[in-house]
Amino acid sequence: MSEQNSAVLPKGVVQKEFNKAVEKFRTLLGEENVLLQADQLIPYNKIMMSVENAAHAPSAALTATTVEQVQGVVKICNEHHIPIWTISTGRNFGYGTAAPVARGQVILDLKKMNKIINIDPVMCTVLVEPGVTYGQLYDYIQKHDLPLMLSFSAPSAIAGPVGNTMDRGVGYTPYGEHFMMQCGMEVVMANGDVYRTGMGGVKGSNTWQIFKWGYGPTLDGMFTQANYGITTKMGFWLMPKPPVIKPFEVIFENEEDIVEIVDLLRPLRMSGTIPNSVVIANILWEAGSGNVRRSSYTSEPGHTPDTILKKIQKDTGMGAWNLYAALYGTQEQVDVNWKIVSDVFKKHGKGRIVTQEEAGDTQPFKYRAELMSGIPNLQEFGLYNWRGGGGSMWFAPVSEARGSECKKQAALAKRILHKHGLDYVGEFIVAPRDMHHVIDVLYDRNNPEETKRADACFNELLDEFEKEGYAVYRVNTRFQERVAQSYGPVKRDVEHAIKRALDPNNILAPGRSGIDLDTYKKT
Amino acid sequence: MSVNRRFVLKSLVLSGAAGLAMGIPFRALSSTANGTHNSLPVMVLTNGTAIESAFLHGANTGNSRLQVQRVSSDLAFMLDFERQMRNSKAMRIIGLLDDTSATLIMAMAGSAGARVQWLGQHTAETGFSRHHLITTDSADGCTRQLSRQLQACGAGFSLHEEHHNNTMPARQLDGLGPTGNQSTQWATSIGFLLASLGTHPLMDAPLTTTASTPITGSFVSFSIEV
Repeated sequence: MSEQNSAVLPKGVVQKEFNKAVEKFRTLLGEENVLLQADQLIPYNKIMMSVENAAHAPSAALTATTVEQVQGVVKICNEHHIPIWTISTGRNFGYGTAAPVARGQVILDLKKMNKIINIDPVMCTVLVEPGVTYGQLYDYIQKHDLPLMLSFSAPSAIAGPVGNTMDRGVGYTPYGEHFMMQCGMEVVMANGDVYRTGMGGVKGSNTWQIFKWGYGPTLDGMFTQANYGITTKMGFWLMPKPPVIKPFEVIFENEEDIVEIVDLLRPLRMSGTIPNSVVIANILWEAGSGNVRRSSYTSEPGHTPDTILKKIQKDTGMGAWNLYAALYGTQEQVDVNWKIVSDVFKKHGKGRIVTQEEAGDTQPFKYRAELMSGIPNLQEFGLYNWRGGGGSMWFAPVSEARGSECKKQAALAKRILHKHGLDYVGEFIVAPRDMHHVIDVLYDRNNPEETKRADACFNELLDEFEKEGYAVYRVNTRFQERVAQSYGPVKRDVEHAIKRALDPNNILAPGRSGIDLDTYKKT
Repeated sequence: MSVNRRFVLKSLVLSGAAGLAMGIPFRALSSTANGTHNSLPVMVLTNGTAIESAFLHGANTGNSRLQVQRVSSDLAFMLDFERQMRNSKAMRIIGLLDDTSATLIMAMAGSAGARVQWLGQHTAETGFSRHHLITTDSADGCTRQLSRQLQACGAGFSLHEEHHNNTMPARQLDGLGPTGNQSTQWATSIGFLLASLGTHPLMDAPLTTTASTPITGSFVSFSIEV
């Protein structure tokens, strides 16, 4: 094999050292699993963030198929100080895609570790490898006619449960808080040890996917949104498929209605009357995912004026806010809960209730109903045609499930986005007490001036929300260091102390969530 | 209906690309491949964007053995597309699609382990177009050729190229225009360049035939090798 000459190298690694590591990777994984050519690496470098692709270009990508290979990769990385960025499916789009946090990091792609190791339809548990997609699981459940239901985020079939859960993503069913449903991980540590959380360390245990906590400190959460290990297996709970699912929508005409919507909804969520992760989507999220394009209404630059938003509402029947929820259970249970829920909204009088029978196959109702029923689809990708240009960054502050707070956050976000000539395309994903307020900062990445504005806008969103005591729960790789600062110096000191103890050579995803031994200075 | 059957039926509605074979399954298309980059069979993905006929006009001139495949952004299509890419013999897939479809196609290409020689983001405004290209050595010279042709036509454009894994800095090329009715020339030129990638770099793309109405919007071009 000829010597490799790379324009992109890991930070601090010279070509000769890199080549030595590459030769070892080839011996370990086979030639075809060590990707170095530009045309092999571009698929890992398609980003949607407000920075040049070069800033997130990998130097190589590796594909492993076994835990032993992952251990071998870690060993080589330690020997040559090669930083490695692990992905499962790399499908988190507005949260960063597959590209590494820093230029030159080597991607460890686990897509070929895609075995569904076990599904137990009695205990409703599953154990999977990182490359398993929701689509694979869905097909398996359908093929074997198992009475189980999946919960996934909007990219659904093409994303995977390990990546989504490790990033603390959410779905739209009663099992929508995915990390809460996680039960048992297998993690390759930086020293090559294989650590199993919960009951997984007990020889012969059959409760690894049953009981989360095990004994002593429970460390599962430490491996999410972090760089302390490489997860090679993960268990989680599946929802028993109920006999009846009743999805519905409540359409509200006015932006100000958000206060009442949330305050009406909270007791229904807390009591479990509405058990799933409810969505309240604003007009532009609704329109974009319903295949409406901005260009059909205006070609003017800048944010889309409220007069046009009203026109879209009028043309499409969509609301300023569009609430989607579902009821689950036997017919008797659903009937009782439907009366409670519909009475609440009828009594309030502002919302227009739409049932599945009334909506038929119209979008976006259809795709929302499917997501709440565990049926995958790709409809929400329509958002990328709203403005076009390939720029998408999800700004996701956490909010109290309190109407006044949601109104305040929505107004603040809208003001900042409009100041930078961008649209407020937002939704609230409603848990009993918190809301994930997800805003898709959509912009034309092909326009350098607009890209700069989007970057400035995202920074201002972070700054202004922080001043109000808000912070995001998740962010794309461009802003991970910045967001880590929001959570305070003590947290960061602790995180780096753990990093020093577990990964002293700083080889595992340095920079992930702002954790990087090379750059962090204790304040 | 099977996805393959849907491919064929959707392909039948394409009428503006005479000489192109429609809706041929990947396996049949790739059966003639001899494995060298220049001579791989080429499939063009289309989905009815306004710019489609301009792109196809260029592509058809650049390579007379094109097959055209109509794409949809629904899940069944995408999963089938990924499966076909995994199982196909060597071939190239090119296209100029809307953002949603292209995002999904590129995601599928990634999971199928495909190689990508060219990835372009294009914005067409009245009398002006902007292009952000990520290219590899295989597409060497294409950007200059595109720039030269757009300049010759008097089209107004801005072209930014990042060359992946190369020491060469990003390249910025601009054309002052607009002086003519050339709003779709860029699409014709890119169709030609991608269809003929590596075959006859000195030839010029044909002139566009659909310039009567300005076509605006955002599009993504790509060349993928499986």
